[in-house]
Amino acid sequence: MKFRSLLFLAIIPLLSGCSADTFRLFNPVGAVGSVEWRFTVIDVGVMLLIILPTTVMIAVFVWRYRKSRNAEYDPSWSHSLGLELMMWGIPFLTVIFLGYASYRSTMLVNPYNPAAINYTDPANPPLQVDVITTDWQWVFIYPSLGIATVDDLVVPAGRPIKFWLTSTSVTNDFYIPEVAPMIDVMPGMRTMDGFQVNHPGHYEGFSADFSGAGFSWMQFSTRILAKPDFDKWVAATQGSPNQLSYAAFTKLAEPTVNVGAKPAYFSHADAGLFMQVYNAARAGTVYAIPEQLNIVTSPVDYTQVKNGTN
Amino acid sequence: MFVHLQGPYSFLLGRFTLAAIPYNNAIIQFAFAFTAIAALLVIGPVLYFRKIPYLFREWFTTVDHKKIGVMYIILGLVMMLRGFVDGLMIRTQQVMADGPHSPGFLEAAHGYLPPSHFDQIYSSHGTLMIIFAATPILTGLGNIIVPLQIGARDMAFPTLNAISLWLTAVGAALIMVSLFVGDFSAAGWVGLIPLTELDFSPSTGVDYWMWAIQISSVGTTLNAINVIATIVTMRAPGMRWDRLPIFTWTTLSTSIIGLTSFPILGVALALLGADRYLGTHFFTAGMGGNLMLYTNLFWIWGHPEVYFLVLPAFGIISEVIPAFSEKPLFGYITMVAATFAIAGISWTVWLHHFFTMGAGPLVNSFFSVATMVVGIPTGVKVFNWMFTLYRGRLTFATPMLWAVGGLFLLLIGGLTGMMLAIPAINYTVHNSVFVIAHFHCMVLLIVYAAFAAVSFWFPKVFGFRLDETTGKLFFWSFSAGTILVFTAMFGLGFMGETRRLDYLFNTQWWPALVIEEIGIGFYCLSLLMFFVMLFVSIRDRVKNAATADPWGTARTLEWLTHSPVPFYNFAVTPHVNSRDELAWRYANNLASTVPDHFEEIHMPRNTPVPIIIGALAFGFGFGLIWRIWWLTALSLLGIIAVVIYRSFARDKGYHLSAEVMTQLEREPPLGVVSESQYLSEPPLGASGARPLGHAGAH
Repeated sequence: MKFRSLLFLAIIPLLSGCSADTFRLFNPVGAVGSVEWRFTVIDVGVMLLIILPTTVMIAVFVWRYRKSRNAEYDPSWSHSLGLELMMWGIPFLTVIFLGYASYRSTMLVNPYNPAAINYTDPANPPLQVDVITTDWQWVFIYPSLGIATVDDLVVPAGRPIKFWLTSTSVTNDFYIPEVAPMIDVMPGMRTMDGFQVNHPGHYEGFSADFSGAGFSWMQFSTRILAKPDFDKWVAATQGSPNQLSYAAFTKLAEPTVNVGAKPAYFSHADAGLFMQVYNAARAGTVYAIPEQLNIVTSPVDYTQVKNGTN
Repeated sequence: MFVHLQGPYSFLLGRFTLAAIPYNNAIIQFAFAFTAIAALLVIGPVLYFRKIPYLFREWFTTVDHKKIGVMYIILGLVMMLRGFVDGLMIRTQQVMADGPHSPGFLEAAHGYLPPSHFDQIYSSHGTLMIIFAATPILTGLGNIIVPLQIGARDMAFPTLNAISLWLTAVGAALIMVSLFVGDFSAAGWVGLIPLTELDFSPSTGVDYWMWAIQISSVGTTLNAINVIATIVTMRAPGMRWDRLPIFTWTTLSTSIIGLTSFPILGVALALLGADRYLGTHFFTAGMGGNLMLYTNLFWIWGHPEVYFLVLPAFGIISEVIPAFSEKPLFGYITMVAATFAIAGISWTVWLHHFFTMGAGPLVNSFFSVATMVVGIPTGVKVFNWMFTLYRGRLTFATPMLWAVGGLFLLLIGGLTGMMLAIPAINYTVHNSVFVIAHFHCMVLLIVYAAFAAVSFWFPKVFGFRLDETTGKLFFWSFSAGTILVFTAMFGLGFMGETRRLDYLFNTQWWPALVIEEIGIGFYCLSLLMFFVMLFVSIRDRVKNAATADPWGTARTLEWLTHSPVPFYNFAVTPHVNSRDELAWRYANNLASTVPDHFEEIHMPRNTPVPIIIGALAFGFGFGLIWRIWWLTALSLLGIIAVVIYRSFARDKGYHLSAEVMTQLEREPPLGVVSESQYLSEPPLGASGARPLGHAGAH
């Protein structure tokens, strides 16, 4: 991009910066996201009931009691029992209300078992997806379908999705802004998350917790497909020639920057691959970072040199 | 030894080789040139005017709490400058590296910083700003003001005070060295675990981060002990607890937090050090380690640390607003209660820094409510300041502008803090730049308070006021930067931008990034204004010479003695009659009373022991970082030897007789004068100010 166009574009934010879909968190989709947005609005609304009058009063006092205006001056007034009781009491009541709202919403969106999603409906059982982060890619395994992908999360609309998450190396954070709240992805530990979205859509997911030099390139696409489209996609993936055994996985888990989050598909993934990775991490398996990766100029270059591409 | 190290190792130089010096990196070359020129600009005149003996005698060996405080603040400001340059580089990288088609310069694929370099910069930005800028500046302010506010001659342990300073300076020096020798941590200022383990961060970067913090936090802990002892035991007669100025109260509460929380950080870093040096598995994912243990320990320190910084800032605002409202602080008792409520609750909220860890909903709810409870006393404080303004007679000198500006930041920080306190909301914005914008509001509140304090108490320490016109330009350009950068950043948080991105994959973020960069431009302007302000103020120092109370409306005890404060603080220890002592004396026409007699006073003597311990601690840290074991061992033995030597020294300080005091007070010294100058040459000059002191109470 030329420098002159950079300058010109500086005025664009005023014109285009405010389009609605830019603010992803204002447009949540799915059961969990909409609960979170509802409580955001409640919390901000209640807080503004206190913050706005306070802001206005400070501004008014600052303007009104300037020395030059010769307004009323009371040099000894520094105590008022009624006011002081009020200034403890109002925040106290607010915290009681918001504390309840917090408890309520935390139960509703608890990532391990969100009350906002019905996991127990036999007519619509949850789809389990195992998520493993490596340095620096996402591996999605569908144990019930026997397939796996890299950097491409594809799920059916209308069905509850249940995630198990772990990492081979360091901590990441699973995040799809409109759809899935953040949850840490840690080596040697298993966390859970879930969502349910009833309409097809395409969203961008990425790691939210810094995980080293390739972190900025750690995106995955999130495609929510209508049931027939999802079934077609599963069938196509099951025809892929690639297979993901544990041995193949250990190669995949070597430090790699996947520029552009190019997806890969596997027609077969080892049963229990998730638990194998989890147990290996607990037993001390690490995918160490070579020192030159911290010192060489760019991990992108490093990966390309290592893979013989470029 | 014990662990597998990548790269060469030798007994003599440890891990150090010439390859550790990034001489071929253009940015480092520029940084080196900049640092070298700045150093020459300071060292050159010092050598030319042969001031090294003066510096050594008056500053490097001083135990005077005011000079130590000034050095703390200068250290903090210099580190803040470097932290700001880091922030500027982060913002510039992000605005340049947005989208797959953004161009790359120097050796980067996008923008001008490769990730390995960018990650060090954001890590050092946080480490510097919190531990080596905000902490020293507030510690320094406490050092200068607290003994004056309570009518003490010095801190309880003057030598220990100097040791604290030099240990903090050693930490800062290690971070500066990491710029040119080796690298700095690329794992965040919080030390993201297990990224900080040797397997994932094999270079010396994490070691620099770890030992710099470890050594300086020893200094901070010692300082906390010192402040507590000073406030508890050295108050002037009549300075009852219910008359203690609010800033002293907040410094006391903050020191209690510091004393109880910094050792936890020390333990967390020591265990991490064991992992990195001895091959243990405290925080590894495997072999029985538990990485969330580190995160818990870090934030059990980290959250109280936030209040360690913000409480003195609240104290400063509580001093400045009454002084420029010409009214006592509204609700003194509720203010003290709120201060200790915040300090107490600060212990029970650490888990809100990682709601996304996967703790159960009840655990998260507990910490959520605990976090919200902090909002109650904080709200009380805001209301107190608001009602202090009510029916006041407000003048808007620079300190008042900074204090009121800080109030608005606190309101925005409070609103967004109450959002983050709810786990359901936190899940959507945790680790996004919304959190960054929130805590920058709080940290900038601290910065606003610090600038309020610097401009408020500057004349007390140096004897002349800072220039008002340029001071106000500094305030407004700084505030313009704050508004632009952090409004845009809150927006980016809602757009889903997460923290610590070297390359941004979403081009929708770009307009807001440009707004942030424009805000950074205003910050650069404010930096220029700061230096212009210093220049103009020093040029006009005679015109702006300060009396004992240069603002005319100050209220507390420190304004009762001369400006600049003589090395013995008060000629005669004052008797305190009221909560707002100076205001009380104005009201009773006692503020200009000459003491009826002088007494002999006892002063501590300067000593080179603290700076020697500092130098040895630098060797100790540098040796550990590069694993040069002989250097580490020698330095440690040296420290032990110096401490033993000092413990047996029979230095009891010296006395100034009543006659000497009479003479000194007849011709009050002009400029910052200390005992050694007095002892070697007669007091200089004279000012119009008359000695003040022993008044009332008879």
